Amino acid sequence: MRVIALILKRLQRLIPVLIGVSVLCFALIRVLPGDPILSIVPETATAEDIQRMRVRYGLDKSIGTQYLDYMKGVLQGDFGTSIQTNRPVFEQIRERLPRTLELIGYGFLFALILSLFLGFLSAAKVGKSADHTSRLVVLIGNSLPEFWFALVLILVFFGWLDWAPAPIGRIDSNLGFQPITGFLTLDALITGNWQAYRSAFSHLILPVITLGIVGAAPMMRSVRASALEVMGSPGYRCAVAHGMKSGELFWKYVFRESIIPLPVLAGLIFGNLIGGSVLIEYVFSWQGFGQWALRGLLLRDYPVIQGFVLVTALFYVIIFLIADILQAVLDPRVRV
Amino acid sequence: MKKDLFSLKEGLNRRQFLQLSANAGLLMAVTSETAFADGHDELVVAIPADTGGWDQDYLAFDLVGLALFKNCYPYMINYGVKASGSSLVMDTDSIIPVFAESWESDAAGQVWTLKIRKGISFPSGNPLTAHDVKWSKDRAFAAQANVAGIYRMIGLTESDQVEVVDDYTVRFTQSQPSSLSSHIQVICLYVFDSEELKNHATTDDPWAIEWTTKNPQHGGAYNVASYNPGQEIVLEANPNYPLDQPRVKRVRLQVVPSAANRRLLLEKGEVDIGIGLSRRDIDDLRDKSGISVISSPSNEWVFMPMSATVPPLDNPKVRQALAHAVPYDAIIDNVFNGNARRSTSPVPLDMPGHSSGGYPFQYDLDKARALLAETGHENGFEVEIVIMAGDVEQERMAVIVGSSFKEIGVTLNISALDPGTLFQRRTEKSIPLQIASGQMWVNDIEYLLATSLTPGGFLNYAGYDNARVQEIFLELNSLADDSARAVLFEELQGILANDVPWLVLAQPNFDLPVSSRVSNWVQPVDGLFRLEYLSM
Repeated sequence: MRVIALILKRLQRLIPVLIGVSVLCFALIRVLPGDPILSIVPETATAEDIQRMRVRYGLDKSIGTQYLDYMKGVLQGDFGTSIQTNRPVFEQIRERLPRTLELIGYGFLFALILSLFLGFLSAAKVGKSADHTSRLVVLIGNSLPEFWFALVLILVFFGWLDWAPAPIGRIDSNLGFQPITGFLTLDALITGNWQAYRSAFSHLILPVITLGIVGAAPMMRSVRASALEVMGSPGYRCAVAHGMKSGELFWKYVFRESIIPLPVLAGLIFGNLIGGSVLIEYVFSWQGFGQWALRGLLLRDYPVIQGFVLVTALFYVIIFLIADILQAVLDPRVRV
Repeated sequence: MKKDLFSLKEGLNRRQFLQLSANAGLLMAVTSETAFADGHDELVVAIPADTGGWDQDYLAFDLVGLALFKNCYPYMINYGVKASGSSLVMDTDSIIPVFAESWESDAAGQVWTLKIRKGISFPSGNPLTAHDVKWSKDRAFAAQANVAGIYRMIGLTESDQVEVVDDYTVRFTQSQPSSLSSHIQVICLYVFDSEELKNHATTDDPWAIEWTTKNPQHGGAYNVASYNPGQEIVLEANPNYPLDQPRVKRVRLQVVPSAANRRLLLEKGEVDIGIGLSRRDIDDLRDKSGISVISSPSNEWVFMPMSATVPPLDNPKVRQALAHAVPYDAIIDNVFNGNARRSTSPVPLDMPGHSSGGYPFQYDLDKARALLAETGHENGFEVEIVIMAGDVEQERMAVIVGSSFKEIGVTLNISALDPGTLFQRRTEKSIPLQIASGQMWVNDIEYLLATSLTPGGFLNYAGYDNARVQEIFLELNSLADDSARAVLFEELQGILANDVPWLVLAQPNFDLPVSSRVSNWVQPVDGLFRLEYLSM
């Protein structure tokens, strides 16, 4: 009941949050200097041509009217038409989002496993070489630009060793694989196409390692710090003094206690990855959601930016809802 | 900016019959000189981005998309090809019929008749007829976008100026004669498969815009065999192409946004051509085995528009002083590694009518100081220079020019702007000094004036406005006589030499790194690659 109440409470907040985000985004991008029409008119365009295009995209109306028109469309599943490509934004979101979600899903999973492993290892071997090595990994994740790190991985594993596939997309195009959901590994499993699965998986390895190393760093620090705190607590020391086995000590005392702060931090990291994986997408020719939005932002493609911000906001709300639920399950002290 | 079109051969009357079969013969001779022999029939090209869409009536300033269209859309007429030194370039002096059988004008050059080859079909099987041409141009007028804007220059503004005479003949009646007609039509006379598009039209979308944007349009030199959005486009030679069949039968265009990866793929032999590499990368690749760098003179030029309205640059003498303070040779040596030509006029080298008197300025700091003193700015001034964010070449040019200007007391404050902001400020004409590059889609001074040096010109970044220049432009609009035009061109460049709306920095050569099995690159006049001439 406690969890259901939490879900209902969060869902109630969803609508005002999305409306607030949409209003802010709508207003802010129009305050930015830059007219989206100027990047789509030909070099022979006159002032009249530019105005005509402005009328075509409804940009001649007041901001209030534009917003209301936009929201009416959104409620009917119409996120507008990209000024740059003339394609419906919703369709482009549907095409791009699964690509990014698949990438960051695996990347996040890898980061989570890596951070738990290194965090507990580091805490258990504090001050020893395993601890120093783990912290070095964190340092690398924190300090190296992901863009550069990705390029180094490509140079070594594709350029020199030939172990990784060329960084040109998500699957070997010679396979002619037709996606169903857009999540290629899932689609390959559904259709039982193992060749496609292997290809999609191999294309995921380097970008997932890059995202994993970058995303694991803060979570590993959190796990390590929490584990050390638990291991210094009277309860833990008492359990050790009573001769409890190390496996039991870990699972009953250290693990559960140490991961309590993790859901919120993990939610934040996952949310950041939706738009923040843009550089990884760029380097690996992923053609994902972030890459699409960045181009939209540079050219002031208003409907694209608005669509991106709304979907990202929606994901944030959902992710934090999941994070809150997990935390409520892990920690009975959390009040709903 | 992007276009330059033409210049017809001396003694050839533009207004006359233009079924230039001799030029078609030249084209065939050029394209057949290399045998297609070694069994490699797939070319892989790394491109920096996917096309923004497939509808040419609406897509502008998307260089990948526009290049694709040149290879996939059926164009009725085109330029020929000629040798320039050891390179092949598109020859704007010759216009050849492609899907057209002939393209001719009346004596005045006002009414143009297009005859279409019979027996040509689109990939759908629908025959290509005059009705497709008419429907396509009606669509362009309805769009009021790319084609409609360009057609205005030659007096085509209404759809009823395009008439179907019979199933294979279309007549274009311009409101005025124009020297640019054929060159404008080289750009604009592409045709949609109207029957196919009508199948996808709806009441709300009578021109099938939504469908056309998403679905490859083809029937030109190449057809689109497959399209994987964001990843890859596969082209196959069109068996119905009326000129010589492209010798590379299959082209795989791989989208690789990162320049570092395009270079790596080329070095590893995974791709044959890497489009859009930096000059530094290209220089590094010159000595690599298995890679050659194609180099040819280009009509792209790099320049610095100076605001004609923002003080103190609104004073022509100040602009002249700055023109004497630009270290031209240092820019060519250090930014372009010597691989550029010094341009001597705002009218680019190789553009018909170019006169070296258009920019009579040499690097001479004493002269620059003296001119500044005459304007009362002997102590110099501070001025903003705008460059495109992330453009390393522009950054280097700004630094080199800035350090030289410092010698005469002029301090440059560099602002790097993102594309959105840059477009906005260019339209507002609020940028005192900026770095830009241009490549006219029509290689003609009249077109240059219309777009870049007259009020209202979209590319007139300097906000340049000279009454006599405008008069010259208006005279050129309906002036057909080559010698009379030449006189006006000369006068124009004299005015520009005095007014100095731009600092003309350099005209860099075009370099393209390719695998050494690739040959027969033809340098396009508009910078948009043409694949049909390539051999392996």
